[in-house]
Amino acid sequence: MLPPRMKMAITENPKKLANLIDLVNLPTPLRDFLGQSQISRLGCFMRVWSYIKTNNLQDPNNKNIVNCDEKLKSILLGKPQIELLELPVLIKLHFPKEPK
Amino acid sequence: MGKLPPSMRGAQFPVVVKSQQLPAAKPYYPAKIRNKLKPRITNCPPPPTPSIRFPSPHLSDAISIFNSLVSSNNSPPTLKFYNSILHSFSCIASPDDSISLMNHMFKAASSSSSFTPDRSTYHILLAHSASSLESIRHSLNLMISQGGFSPDKVTTDIAIRALCSSSSQLEEAVQLIKELSLKHSPPDSYTYNFLIKQLCRNRSLTTVHSFINDMKDAFGVKPDLVTYTILIDNVCNTKNLREATRLLGVLSDQGFKPDSYVYNTIMKGYCMLSQGSEVLKVYKKMEEEGVKPDIVTFNTLIYGLSKSGRVKYAKKFLAIMTEAGHFPDAVTYTSLMNGMCREGNALGALNLLVEMEQKGCTPNSCTYNTLLHGLCKARLLDKGIELFRVMKAGNMKLETGSYGTFLRALCRNGRVAEAYQVFDYAVESKSLTDISAYATLEATLKWLKKAKEQGLVV
Repeated sequence: MLPPRMKMAITENPKKLANLIDLVNLPTPLRDFLGQSQISRLGCFMRVWSYIKTNNLQDPNNKNIVNCDEKLKSILLGKPQIELLELPVLIKLHFPKEPK
Repeated sequence: MGKLPPSMRGAQFPVVVKSQQLPAAKPYYPAKIRNKLKPRITNCPPPPTPSIRFPSPHLSDAISIFNSLVSSNNSPPTLKFYNSILHSFSCIASPDDSISLMNHMFKAASSSSSFTPDRSTYHILLAHSASSLESIRHSLNLMISQGGFSPDKVTTDIAIRALCSSSSQLEEAVQLIKELSLKHSPPDSYTYNFLIKQLCRNRSLTTVHSFINDMKDAFGVKPDLVTYTILIDNVCNTKNLREATRLLGVLSDQGFKPDSYVYNTIMKGYCMLSQGSEVLKVYKKMEEEGVKPDIVTFNTLIYGLSKSGRVKYAKKFLAIMTEAGHFPDAVTYTSLMNGMCREGNALGALNLLVEMEQKGCTPNSCTYNTLLHGLCKARLLDKGIELFRVMKAGNMKLETGSYGTFLRALCRNGRVAEAYQVFDYAVESKSLTDISAYATLEATLKWLKKAKEQGLVV
């Protein structure tokens, strides 16, 4: 069962949640990175974040900063360094709003 | 700190919800009901002697397993043996297959030893034919025609409970209970109250009242004190205290004397509305009427007073309840801590944690969540992080509200990486669904970014 707040969120705003968990056809760079052609925004975030963790890409002096490797760069606008703060926003760029 | 986006504002004091359920959980089920439940369960027994797990729900597999079991056994199988096999099979198989298995047992047994299904055999079938009213009817007919047993109160109870396992079939349950009352015997108070509770939860008040009236007019089944407690609880949950007071009047008119369960329920209702003085009034009334308060009463009282900002008053009751022979438990202390955190006295709440542990009372996850929430609100992040470590070590779950507050506090202090770790923990420990954990994280980061751009957070 979903917790009550979740339920409220779903009934109040089904679209907001849908764009988190709906599967989306991916653009090529993301497809190469993830090795699959469809994923949800939530799943994508989890994969990228776990990629950062397994490859120890967080800056040892400031954990809030991620030093991108080549592979990560390719999906995050080619930035050499990103802040963890902007990670969700950068990932969201790959999941544009569908035209109504 | 910038303005909180509306998505976050909702996440306040989750603890409130939890701790009010705790004291309330007891009222509807007086111990007498539990005692009564036990003999019923033994009627359709959890497999006692041979506990067999059927690997597949297919009838043919089950029959071959059954045959091999019988042939490997030297002594003639007992009725218990048959029943437990039937029970294990019907747990996973369809009602029709279960009936077929019973028929097979019947045939197979008649040659070597006798297997005459008794009442409990049919009860097993009945308990597992939950899928529809028809299958219940079918099992009932089988019981009457093949077994020659007429349905008694226990049968009614099992059938109704089986039907009520999904809330979509309550109308069928009402229909069945009326039918059985007409043909055989009216339900006992346990079945009756069970159904009323289900109706209260899932249907409108009008449905409940028309059911009560129908039962009273047609079969003379009248609501008892437990019924009224359920009804009062239901209206209290919808914050309709006026109706609750009216019901209290009706109850007295019917010649019932309200017991501590009734009073506890009404007290809970006032707690939900944060009306501390009314809560106190209920307590005084109990004293006047000579109803002895129990631990739930005290917990509710302390919870209500803390919630409405009268922590000092609430603390006095700690001593009073100990005098009355009830020792404060985790719920009591958590309610108090909740009140103290609301006043902004998070350090005092932390001291209370020490005190409670000294007195040998173990805090639960709700206690820690309350404290975490309070500490973060009071900007004592370091203490909050320390507390979170303890929670992590104890594998305790985070609640939505304290999770959100903690994340915001971390982000506000520029500790985004740690916020990510908390997110990981929330997902790992399955405290929240991935979706809500992520949604909160995303919203928090978005808010932080905005605040940074406006120069509100460094």
